[in-house]
Amino acid sequence: AMAGALRALRAVWPLLRRGLRGTARPPNTRQLREAEEAAPVFQYAGKAARRKDRVFVWGFSYSGALGIPSFVKPDAGWKKPRRIQCTPYRLETEEKISSAACGYGFTLLASSTTDITKVWGMGLNKDSQLGFQRSRRDQTKGYEYVLEPSPIPLPLEKPQQTRVLQVSCGRAHSLVLTDTEGVFTMGNNSYGQCGRKVVEDEIYSESHVIHQLNEFDSRVVQVVCGQDHSLFRTKKGAVYACGWGADGQTGLGHYNITSVPTKLRGDIAGVNIIQVSSYGDCCLAVSDEGEVFGWGNSEYLQLASVTETTQVNVPRHLPFKIGKIKEAACGGTGNAVLTEEGNVFVWGYGILGKGPNLRETAVPEMIPPSLFGWSDFNLDIRVAHVRCGLSQFAALTNRGELFVWGKNLRGCLGTGRMEDQYFPWRVTVPGEVVDVACGVDHMVSMVKSF
Amino acid sequence: LNAAPRRAPRQHIRFLPTPAPAPALAPGGGGALELVPSRVPVLADHPLVGGPRFRRLKIGVGHQLDMKASGVLVLGIGDGNKLLTDLYNCHLTKVYTVSGLFGKATDDFSDTGKLIEKTTFDHITREKLERIVAVIQGTNHKALLMYSNIDMKTQEAYELAVKGLIRPMEKSPPIITAIRCLQFALPEFQLEIHCLHETQQYLRKIVHEIGLELKSSAVCTQVRRTRDGVFTVDDALPRTQWDLRSVQDAIRNCRLKVRTELEKTL
Repeated sequence: AMAGALRALRAVWPLLRRGLRGTARPPNTRQLREAEEAAPVFQYAGKAARRKDRVFVWGFSYSGALGIPSFVKPDAGWKKPRRIQCTPYRLETEEKISSAACGYGFTLLASSTTDITKVWGMGLNKDSQLGFQRSRRDQTKGYEYVLEPSPIPLPLEKPQQTRVLQVSCGRAHSLVLTDTEGVFTMGNNSYGQCGRKVVEDEIYSESHVIHQLNEFDSRVVQVVCGQDHSLFRTKKGAVYACGWGADGQTGLGHYNITSVPTKLRGDIAGVNIIQVSSYGDCCLAVSDEGEVFGWGNSEYLQLASVTETTQVNVPRHLPFKIGKIKEAACGGTGNAVLTEEGNVFVWGYGILGKGPNLRETAVPEMIPPSLFGWSDFNLDIRVAHVRCGLSQFAALTNRGELFVWGKNLRGCLGTGRMEDQYFPWRVTVPGEVVDVACGVDHMVSMVKSF
Repeated sequence: LNAAPRRAPRQHIRFLPTPAPAPALAPGGGGALELVPSRVPVLADHPLVGGPRFRRLKIGVGHQLDMKASGVLVLGIGDGNKLLTDLYNCHLTKVYTVSGLFGKATDDFSDTGKLIEKTTFDHITREKLERIVAVIQGTNHKALLMYSNIDMKTQEAYELAVKGLIRPMEKSPPIITAIRCLQFALPEFQLEIHCLHETQQYLRKIVHEIGLELKSSAVCTQVRRTRDGVFTVDDALPRTQWDLRSVQDAIRNCRLKVRTELEKTL
């Protein structure tokens, strides 16, 4: 029995030995290096990888102004309606959007393409501020709320050559600026803000009227909408206005409504204006020499540095000694200017951005650059643009970062919190922010991806 | 330390019996013993009785340093250990020099780990890297303000934010306060990172994530701490200087800095 067992073991032994020889041992350095060199190389981005342009929106969504229909009417069972989008959300667009504007509950997006569709609109359409949007259910009626970016048909003479340069939105009207065919206006015209004669008892909803404005002294380069008035800046540096004037925001010397764009005089006459801004009832204009002029409502100390009256109907020069001014932005109750050095100055009433103690000031106060990321390590951070919503401010730095502050109405600041922000706070956007448009309760930004 | 000259032994007054001076004339006197007060050293202080003065030294370590990392390591000796806890509560930033290599991804984010993937990296430029670095800085700045647990609506919060003094004063996840690119030579690059409450593995993970953001992959080759609160590389003693004299000089030099920093914060 013993011999039999030994014979069996001897037969099995070579197998055992082979088994032991074949066990895995930790690979030595040479094998590791060879394995590494033999590994395949993956390529995720080629040399010619281009940065993509994206649009991000955030704020109140039930008006449709964000352009994402699933927030209002969920298209899947697990989705719930989202009333407020408090952080930036990507909006898919077909074309690269070059200009965007936020109105009071609606948004316009424009691209500088030569295709037939150049402007898209979404949000409130009760006054046809987005043109006529034919309803798919009933061909005779139009939509009152547009939930996703829908093309706005413009009556262009040469639709495949004209390019849209800029869009602007007010409370219930919108302006579209083209390069060769002047300005197109649509929406509410009860105060003549669309630049055409006021028709008594006109019904503005489901209206097909889009008016074209062409009679200016030279080509219009910038259009700005206030709450119920419109401002046009021409290449020669002149400013035209039309619309409601009870606060003097048309700047024409009277407090009546104007239904035809008329040139402004006052301290602006003869001055080459390079930028105009307005959102509520106050207006600011910047000249090429860095001087700022203002007119309109001054109930919130916006123009209190030159006058005690609460309405100014003629443009007045604002003698601020803060340096050469590059850009101005008007909000509902507060104003902000940007100087050549990249500093932001604010004045007016409300949350101005210098802590909860500064509620109102008639003289511009500078916001410390360290709040925008300037420090001993980053000495070359500067603010490049300022924008204003109704009670919010937004600043873009040269590094592409977006800072917001002001009243956080329905989550429009995009910080992810619902509280008001008393000093500039960074908004985390996955990309470099190129431009931002502020509205009453939502914001739209154009971003370049990394 | 034990070879250093000791403190002079304490003296006390003892009454010692001393033989009285014998008068010259009376031989065999010897005579009565008198008690004479004299100053003699305490026997307990004698080195042969008490033994070496220092038998054990209490040494404590400040913030930890990895096996694969190098740089400044703060040690406290004896009473200095109490200062170590105080310095920890100051929550000062530490500065690291981190070197990375594009093109590889490993499982433990360093170049000695197991290879997971290799990618191309010739599309990366310094500008792209600096853009990503700026974004990291921005999001971490936001985290800094959020974890510092200050109510954003108060005036003091605004003033601290202006001066840049807002810092989390309790435990918080790792936060990078500043980051910039020192050198860039494909495939290698070097970053300087100022951070709070971090570990070296977190820094290696950041390098890996930078690689992912740039649509490639990166591993970390070197982590070196150049500054820990108030202690910089200039104050640190290299291996050749690990002797008593240099340690004593170093402690003396740093004492003032540490004291001012503690007074400022606490």
